[in-house]
Amino acid sequence: MKKIKWLVASLFIFLTGCNLRVLDPKSETARDQSFLIQFSFALMMIVFAIVIILFVWFLSKYRENDQNKDYIPADEKGSPWLEITWTVIPFILLAILAVPTVSITFEQSAQVESTPANAVQIEVTGQQFSWTFSYQNGVETVNNLRLPVDRPVEFTLRSEDIIHSFWIPKLGGKKDLIPGKTRRMIVTPEETGTYQGKCAEFCGREHTKMRFTTTVMEESEYEQWLQEMKEKIE
Amino acid sequence: MTTYKSDRFGDKQLGFALYLIGELIMFATLFATYFLFTPSAINPTPSETFELRTVVITSICLLSSSATIHYAEKAFEKGKEKGVWIGLISTLILATAFMGFEIHEFYKYASEGYTLTENLFLSSFYILVGLHAAHVLFGIGWMALLCYHYPRIPNAIYGQKQKIFTYYWHFVDVIWVFIITFVYGPYLF
Amino acid sequence: MTFELFNRTFFIATDVLLAYIALIGTGLGVLYLVNRANKWSVIKDYVTTTHHRKIGVLYLLSATLFFLRAGIEALIIRTQLAVPENDFWVFQGDKFNEAFTTHGTIMIFFVAMPLLIGLMNVAVPLQIGAQDMAFPYMNALSFWLFLAGAILVNMSFFMTASPNAGWTAYAPLSTAEFTPEAGNDYYIFGLQVSGVGTILAAINMIVTIVRHRAPGMKMTRMPLFAWSTLVTAFLILIAFPVLTIALYILMFDRLFGTSFFSGEAGSPIYWQHLFWIFGHPEVYIIVIPAFGIFSDVISTFSKKRVFGYTSMVVAIVIIGLLGFMVWVHHMFTVGLGPVVNTVFAITTMLIAVPTGIKIFNWLFTMRKGVIHLGTPMLFAAGFIPTFVIGGVTGVMLAVAAADFQFHDTYFVVAHFHYTMVGGTVLGAFAGIYYWFPKMFGFKLKDGLGKAHFWLFLIGFHITFFPQHFAGLNGMPRRVYTYTAEDNIFIFNFISTIGAFMMGIGTLFFVWNIYKSFKNPDRCGNDPWNGRTLEWSVPSPAPEHPFDPMPQVTTIDPLWEAKRNRGGKLPVANTSRSAPIDVTSWQPVGFSGLIMLFSLSFIYHVTWLQIVLGIMVLAFFALRTLTDEHTKMAREGEDHDNI
Repeated sequence: MKKIKWLVASLFIFLTGCNLRVLDPKSETARDQSFLIQFSFALMMIVFAIVIILFVWFLSKYRENDQNKDYIPADEKGSPWLEITWTVIPFILLAILAVPTVSITFEQSAQVESTPANAVQIEVTGQQFSWTFSYQNGVETVNNLRLPVDRPVEFTLRSEDIIHSFWIPKLGGKKDLIPGKTRRMIVTPEETGTYQGKCAEFCGREHTKMRFTTTVMEESEYEQWLQEMKEKIE
Repeated sequence: MTTYKSDRFGDKQLGFALYLIGELIMFATLFATYFLFTPSAINPTPSETFELRTVVITSICLLSSSATIHYAEKAFEKGKEKGVWIGLISTLILATAFMGFEIHEFYKYASEGYTLTENLFLSSFYILVGLHAAHVLFGIGWMALLCYHYPRIPNAIYGQKQKIFTYYWHFVDVIWVFIITFVYGPYLF
Repeated sequence: MTFELFNRTFFIATDVLLAYIALIGTGLGVLYLVNRANKWSVIKDYVTTTHHRKIGVLYLLSATLFFLRAGIEALIIRTQLAVPENDFWVFQGDKFNEAFTTHGTIMIFFVAMPLLIGLMNVAVPLQIGAQDMAFPYMNALSFWLFLAGAILVNMSFFMTASPNAGWTAYAPLSTAEFTPEAGNDYYIFGLQVSGVGTILAAINMIVTIVRHRAPGMKMTRMPLFAWSTLVTAFLILIAFPVLTIALYILMFDRLFGTSFFSGEAGSPIYWQHLFWIFGHPEVYIIVIPAFGIFSDVISTFSKKRVFGYTSMVVAIVIIGLLGFMVWVHHMFTVGLGPVVNTVFAITTMLIAVPTGIKIFNWLFTMRKGVIHLGTPMLFAAGFIPTFVIGGVTGVMLAVAAADFQFHDTYFVVAHFHYTMVGGTVLGAFAGIYYWFPKMFGFKLKDGLGKAHFWLFLIGFHITFFPQHFAGLNGMPRRVYTYTAEDNIFIFNFISTIGAFMMGIGTLFFVWNIYKSFKNPDRCGNDPWNGRTLEWSVPSPAPEHPFDPMPQVTTIDPLWEAKRNRGGKLPVANTSRSAPIDVTSWQPVGFSGLIMLFSLSFIYHVTWLQIVLGIMVLAFFALRTLTDEHTKMAREGEDHDNI
């Protein structure tokens, strides 16, 4: 019975598509990425549609049958005009795609250097097979990340052992944690809620279990929670 | 009929040239590894490790062996049996001397504590220069077999075998020139 | 499971135990059947052969066996992932990681590569009018080295030490600190040994194509499969040495205590660069030959020459060149900076242009033709839409910022299966159905072939299409389970159903081979109304097939001869000397030696390393002392043709 419930629920997602986590962004970063995905998908659907139409058309029209089976087609070497057409049009489509690709890629990498003044600083440490989050006031949590809404968060990513990858699908793409190196990532959550976080780089036996929950809460609640946690340590 | 005569040998020449391209890429990758890890290395740095004297001696041995194998090649073309022997044996001696000094060099570094695992400069040095030394060693065995073949197999076939070896040997020499220039050079001269 | 023997307790995993039983059972069964049918001479013939067609068959046979093994792993993976929080048999944690690692490694190196190299061996010499591959002895050596490497990787499972760091073996996970078991040593030595075999095979292909074409067979008249083989061989020659060195360095890290890829000074990213500088060309290495097969098949089955021959050739060459300039798109999330990321995003997108040219040229080859949907053509037709889906998701993945989301999810898994199964595997099946008559003198059954095609293709789409959505819903690759809340159950469940359908399709293929041998329909030299030279020689292709040597005057020479000369090819006045075919136990012996040598490193047995090392070197002496060229010159036969 429980399985049937999943089945119905999942089928719904399958049909609507818009509930897929990556396409349901809760931050500007993720929204830009979702836009790129949908934009490139739309452009590529043009190509796909043309190919499929030609494919079905040629295959049905020129398929061998009783009338034409002894017919020898005329020799045809090619057609410079047609060939130029399908060289140039893809170039144009790709140029259209390249513009937002370059600008958004730069934008998403550039913000890393210019940290906003009001940013929350959180240090993320990955190790086989868990996540440790350290907040500015010294509080540490494991596999449980809390963020205030509508404030930029700067994650400082480090690894204790091997390569991991930090990923909260609804808040933005992933960034690898490289041992011996420090990586940064900035996102601004725009909606409260609980989001899944995962390790996306295969890291050994229990890679599967290296997950965390991200809770985005109102700023006042967040501050209160931080305070409570701090008192608990002391 | 003259064009046919070299059909199969032509295959071998091209095939071996292609093989050497593959080898060149392997060595290029090892050079890249050396460039990546060496400049930042400390304890020891390359300048502390390398010693000019052995590098000069090994280089003289190996570089002059390219001349002697070329001499053997010319002698074979002119049909001078004695010249082939002189060229071949002197190349063999020079190569063996090179190996001797190389082993001495490695031994000396190791006894100073500069071993494979000491730091990444030494690691990348040993895996690059060591692979080259393995090529020289293989070449010594190859030359010994050529010496065995020379009086025993038809002359035309011997000539082909020697020619392929010549390519190999010049290749090994060229790699050594790169090693002097890029591995030792920046830290010795 | 544990058991008591001699008062000691032994532990053996049930999957390994079952595999032993299955292996020994089928092994004994095969031995019994061979003995009963008295076919030992056939086996000896194939083991000692240096003939290109037989070596091609050996490649294809071993690739099929490894396909079944890695396919079973795929089914195990899909079964474990069928429902949330599943506990299928032993396949969680390490066992699951081992299963996907060997699935990937075997499918790429020991299935895709040998399928295509096998078809090249069978078809390319015949297509260009060569009597054999340029170096028949080295050809046998290439095969046996490949097999030695493949056996090393395959046997690791039976030694309960499968590689477990993914087929990409990312450091530092693949270093001895994190995976001290022998598994990744098997990976290193297996790939190293078979890689050397592959490099030798590439050299052989290039020399054959450059120097053994029939008189008049200019480069501009070569069939496209020969062209794609030539480009592929160059890609192998340039890319594989990088893998050789990457593995060489990793070997030092694992066995001799260096720390290139880990520790404070080492660089894990350097492994990724080396691996992908090899790895991205590698994916073109396994898809370009498939392009060549499709070009030949589509042209033959449409009764038309290929549309835009020149642009087809130029496109393959450009794909080959660009293939070396895109490797960073596997590393967008590493953090190499926006400049590097966008440059590589754009080069990656550019590859879509030559690929698009090829797709449209194929479509226009079919246009105005007469399309006969024989089994090979079905696979070619199934390829076009399938590969286009893989191609468009490829462009989507090239968008660097979007790839931050896609990277290492099931979206990527779906994408590369669309290109590799849709391109390489369908191509290899098309090639096998197409050239099977040239290998054995009879066709595979058409009806079973169609069943195979439809089950496999529909199963394929059912398996991999939903995986795009699983990825977009946040499913990372290489996980052994997921939760109900992840909302990816339905995608995974459908995917599992499709995988079993593909499995059944593959069984139809195996059954087809069995039935076709049992009850062969002899079909003559030219069953498909072919256009190129291989269909002018007897089936199965004999040794020295071109006698007399044809004079080639055009592209598609056989077709031209059928139209204008009553099917007779003009005869050439001169021809070059043929390669020397021999029969020898040396290649198989040497490869066995290399395998033992590798094992002595995997298990750190120093004295054995020395003994076997000397024997390996001694083998080179043996080879030069028994060289067939010397023998021939000595016997004075064929004296001009040394």
